[in-house]
Amino acid sequence: MVANHESEAASAAAPGAGATVDPMRLASRWRSPAEWEFAAAELDAEPLPSELNTVNSSGLFAVVSTDKLSVKYLGSHLHGHDVGVVQADRPAPTRRAVYYFEMGVKNAGYKGQTSIGFTSGSFKMRRQPGWESNSCGYHGDDGYLYRGQGKGEPFGPKFTSGDTIGAGINYLSQEFFFTKNGSLVGAFPKDIKGPLYPTVAVHSQGEELTVNFGKEPFCFDIEGYILEEKMRQQSMTDKLKLEENISHVIVRSYLLHYGYQDTLNSFDMANATDPPGSRQNGHREPPEMYGLSHRKLLRQLIMSGDIDSTFKRLEEWYPQVIKDEKSVICFLLHSQRFIEYIRAEQLEDAVTYARAKLASFLTHKAFEGLLKESVALLAYEKPAESCIGYLLDCPQREFVADAVNAAVLSTNPAMKDPESCLYSCLERLLRQLTVCSFERRAFNNDQGDAFLLHKEVRNCERSHRS
Amino acid sequence: MFLSRIVLRDLDSIDSPVSMASSKKVVTRDEWERKLRDVKIRKEDMNRLVMNFLVTEGFVDVAEKFRIESGTQPEIDLATITDRMEVKKAVQSGNVQEAIEKINDLNPTILDTNPQLYFHLQQQKLIELIRAGKISEALEFAQEELAPRGEENQTFLEEIEKTVALLVFEDIKNCPYGELLDVSQRLKTASEVNAAILTSQSHEKDPKLPSLLKMLLWTQNQLDEKAAYPRINDLTTAELQDPSI
Repeated sequence: MVANHESEAASAAAPGAGATVDPMRLASRWRSPAEWEFAAAELDAEPLPSELNTVNSSGLFAVVSTDKLSVKYLGSHLHGHDVGVVQADRPAPTRRAVYYFEMGVKNAGYKGQTSIGFTSGSFKMRRQPGWESNSCGYHGDDGYLYRGQGKGEPFGPKFTSGDTIGAGINYLSQEFFFTKNGSLVGAFPKDIKGPLYPTVAVHSQGEELTVNFGKEPFCFDIEGYILEEKMRQQSMTDKLKLEENISHVIVRSYLLHYGYQDTLNSFDMANATDPPGSRQNGHREPPEMYGLSHRKLLRQLIMSGDIDSTFKRLEEWYPQVIKDEKSVICFLLHSQRFIEYIRAEQLEDAVTYARAKLASFLTHKAFEGLLKESVALLAYEKPAESCIGYLLDCPQREFVADAVNAAVLSTNPAMKDPESCLYSCLERLLRQLTVCSFERRAFNNDQGDAFLLHKEVRNCERSHRS
Repeated sequence: MFLSRIVLRDLDSIDSPVSMASSKKVVTRDEWERKLRDVKIRKEDMNRLVMNFLVTEGFVDVAEKFRIESGTQPEIDLATITDRMEVKKAVQSGNVQEAIEKINDLNPTILDTNPQLYFHLQQQKLIELIRAGKISEALEFAQEELAPRGEENQTFLEEIEKTVALLVFEDIKNCPYGELLDVSQRLKTASEVNAAILTSQSHEKDPKLPSLLKMLLWTQNQLDEKAAYPRINDLTTAELQDPSI
């Protein structure tokens, strides 16, 4: 029944060339800011190492303190199998550009044989990291790097009491790297697969270490390092050549698609007079020209909150879009009308309107989220300051305006691809980039960071502020 | 012969797990489109991306219109774009002295902290003097202002030598360093100025959009090694091309 209803709504909203444009897809994109945050967190979420593992450690030779962030050697150091080695409680996360942690050598003890590195889950917990296969370690007594063979190789300076030593995995370059007192010591290829645990070890009387999994600021400028690595990555992609003016073409088609006509005209004018020949080079007019000035006006009306006029204009220009009272477009417009009543503090009108126009949508599951939150606005004395105050913000109007825009585009008899009504060229490119980037990471054993537009845009704004 | 090859290939794909494993993973169009549909992109973020492009490229009027029509707040004060564009235009039309003054009005530390930029502006000034046929003025400027800079820096010296060489040729259009007189030289200097001002405003000197487009091309190339999937080959249409298997 519900499914039937949905398909009715879709076909009613898109009588165009018999193609099926489902603006419900736009509605399914509707999310409250809380949902956005949740979704973003979910994509990035990965358990992080936060403390030392007190269960699976060589308890005979080392003791981890109660804060689970420091370790001390207990044994008497007789041979190579009485190492006090401790792993972190969880493996290093992989869905990021770089993972990094540090240890502080509180006391280098009798022989200064502290070490730091990464080990696999099956690591023998009585050996130094790097002595066994599937592990690597930087050792304090000789400054050597150990990579799974018994013999180490010259790598960096020795380290002792008072030094801060860091170990990291660079997933972009597929390298391990170590730091000492805030400076990079060196990097080498990461040839170990599978989950890797941050690991530290003590191996002689009196040796004592603390670890920092990021709770405290790092000694090494890890943010700067990541930025540099990303720049290096970018310099690789920067070598690729783009067709000239491609960005102009894409921005222009974005403005066309959404009916930002004033911006578009201004953009065309600027490009006609600006010297660096940024003119359209023979690209055919995109199909989004369709109904441009109507779409612009409809957008303006919705953005100014005038939903009554929007209905009138639609009735006049594109009656098929609002013919079905049960359609998605009608729902979105009605709910927006309701929101505008709330904004104007006409609560009684809002209630009357909701009873007449919105109640019938209550049984429709797809509308549930938006409808419930909209109606909830009635409960607040100052709805703009409530947790659902975002409904009164500009993006909500724009969301409705975009849906109407898509519905109008779908009435174009010349429309070939129904997808093109919903998504601008820019959006399709960004979707492709997102999927490609996530797929690529999946092939890479889930290592590295993947593209998310929101993160990208936010980073860019953060750098403006700093 | 043809037939047997087809038969062999079919057999291969039916019961040779080895060849299956070594071949690329194939993602059908349906599967891919489902993945594409699952991507959630915020309209505001796309608007910000477009705004970033307009602001960085210096389309101040367009940015203002876009702010009104989309409700997107520009990341920097639009007035600063106007200033930046005026400087850029001054260089593009050969008014280097005006450009230098305007840069100093904007932020006197820009030229102090960018000796290379300052040198390129002075070089451009010399080029403009030569272009205008003001020979004695050009000579004086070269000796008093530019020559001391060449003593500091070998690259600067070479640049000065090339530029001064323009003076020796009566028919400067055919001189070996004639490209210095091209519009492209002005544009080069102008874009250097543009970048320096943006940097001084803690703004990236390049818009985000082109680098994302490059990232798309790069990521598709990388993924090609592992999988056959619907690609976008023409960025202007963003149409998916079925994977060739």
